[in-house]
Amino acid sequence: MRESRLMLMQYATAVVAVALVAIHLIMQGVIYPYSTAISFDNILSIYRSWPYAIFLEALLVVVLVHGFNGVRIILHEWRQTAPWSWWVDVGTSAAILVSVAYGTRTIILAIFGGVAG
Amino acid sequence: MGSVGEERAKNKRGIWGWLNPYHYNAERWAYTFQRVTGVAILLYVLGHLGDTSFFIGGPTGTGPSPSGWSFIGSIFENSFGHLILILVVLVLFFHGVNGVRLILSEFGLIFRRPGPIEYPYKPRSLSSGQRYLIWIGIAAAIVAALWAFLVLFEGMG
Repeated sequence: MRESRLMLMQYATAVVAVALVAIHLIMQGVIYPYSTAISFDNILSIYRSWPYAIFLEALLVVVLVHGFNGVRIILHEWRQTAPWSWWVDVGTSAAILVSVAYGTRTIILAIFGGVAG
Repeated sequence: MGSVGEERAKNKRGIWGWLNPYHYNAERWAYTFQRVTGVAILLYVLGHLGDTSFFIGGPTGTGPSPSGWSFIGSIFENSFGHLILILVVLVLFFHGVNGVRLILSEFGLIFRRPGPIEYPYKPRSLSSGQRYLIWIGIAAAIVAALWAFLVLFEGMG
């Protein structure tokens, strides 16, 4: 993808992340008292509510794409050799895929997994 | 051109160049803090992915696990963990507001029309409006950190 498109993606994910993180913070600290928000039963009910599960997945993808693309930009500014650029692009893409997969696994197992006794 | 100038021209100062305290204005410091807070937030997010995975029993878990969640809570739900969360909220709000400023700048929405460069060589395009946004970001970060403090330490005493 062209760098100009990637930069636009960085701005777009930034704007979406501001909105999603604001909702996440409001859910954790305003709508519920903090002690209730982090209780096991409350989190289970949140994961198993489809709108919020989709919201969490969106938050996961947007924040990780924005974060790792930001690191990619920093590393590209640091050095500009062709091998370095290739490794930075491949490395940050792999980091996005692995971290999104790990977070998605948590969401999927929280929804469909059986509750341990 | 001196050696420092040559290094700058070749962009060889690298990441350490961000921390040069000389000749920097507020915008440049905001740029440095944007990068530093961005990396810090990403590290927190990765840690948060790890700790929330204990809701399903950790890396090898298969479903919601009250004991896994209780285990991770016993590590992070204390004054030190809450202090980390307050710092995260602090840098998150600065990064968010300053990031909006950078986007508005990128699209030229908060810059004035450039003019002739005259002594004392202050760029006329850098309007006071965009500089206010830096201070709004700092103020928002402090207010949010105070809010986080009240939320997190309420009921701990």
